[in-house]
Amino acid sequence: MTDTTLIAYTPEQTAKILQLSKNTVYELIAKGEIIAKRIGKVYRIPAKSLSFVSTGLDSDLLEADQADRKNLSLIQKELSTFRAKS
Amino acid sequence: MTSRLEVFFDSDVIISSLISNKGAAYLLLNTTAVKPIVSDIQKEELVIVVKRLGLDIKRLNTLIEKKFRVAKIVVSKPEINKRFLKYVLDPNDAHVVAGIAASKPSFFVSYNLRHFKIDKIKADFKAISLTPAQLLQYIRLKRNRSLVS
Repeated sequence: MTDTTLIAYTPEQTAKILQLSKNTVYELIAKGEIIAKRIGKVYRIPAKSLSFVSTGLDSDLLEADQADRKNLSLIQKELSTFRAKS
Repeated sequence: MTSRLEVFFDSDVIISSLISNKGAAYLLLNTTAVKPIVSDIQKEELVIVVKRLGLDIKRLNTLIEKKFRVAKIVVSKPEINKRFLKYVLDPNDAHVVAGIAASKPSFFVSYNLRHFKIDKIKADFKAISLTPAQLLQYIRLKRNRSLVS
């Protein structure tokens, strides 16, 4: 389970979350499939890179979903009102 | 080349795409991976609701004309309620399922999925119900797989 208090994960923590080997995590970082930053000799993976684990959505799509949901209650209220009268 | 997915759009998704160009609805309608579908009944309700929300009606009309296939629902309102009530929790949404039945899409997108009996819709009409972002996630997966294979 992802710890929402953490901003970034180590490759070891990421491997545990994704149920992969540490080597596979490094391979995925090398391919660009996991976005990570090398800081000195170590890598850190931002929690946002793993957003799909808890939400099922990549972080950019999660943001796009949230952008729409801000306006949803008004849209659905008007649609419900119209459909109830038709 | 990957074939385009036929996707039936609930009205809340279409209206969302007019409000925010950063939202998943807008992104979905601007991907070449989908063939959007709407029903003729929804077209009528969209015009009225878009006006009430103070949105640009010309943008809606252009969007529908340029991007959507409009599926004609040939059954009457009483018949819609009779045949499609079993697929919804709110009877006022039955015409949306009538549109799905008429157009036979692979997917149905809505921000109001909890109002629809999505397992029954999948079983009877073979349409998978998702939110716009979920469908975009699936399209992304398909694209990545086609790059690898």
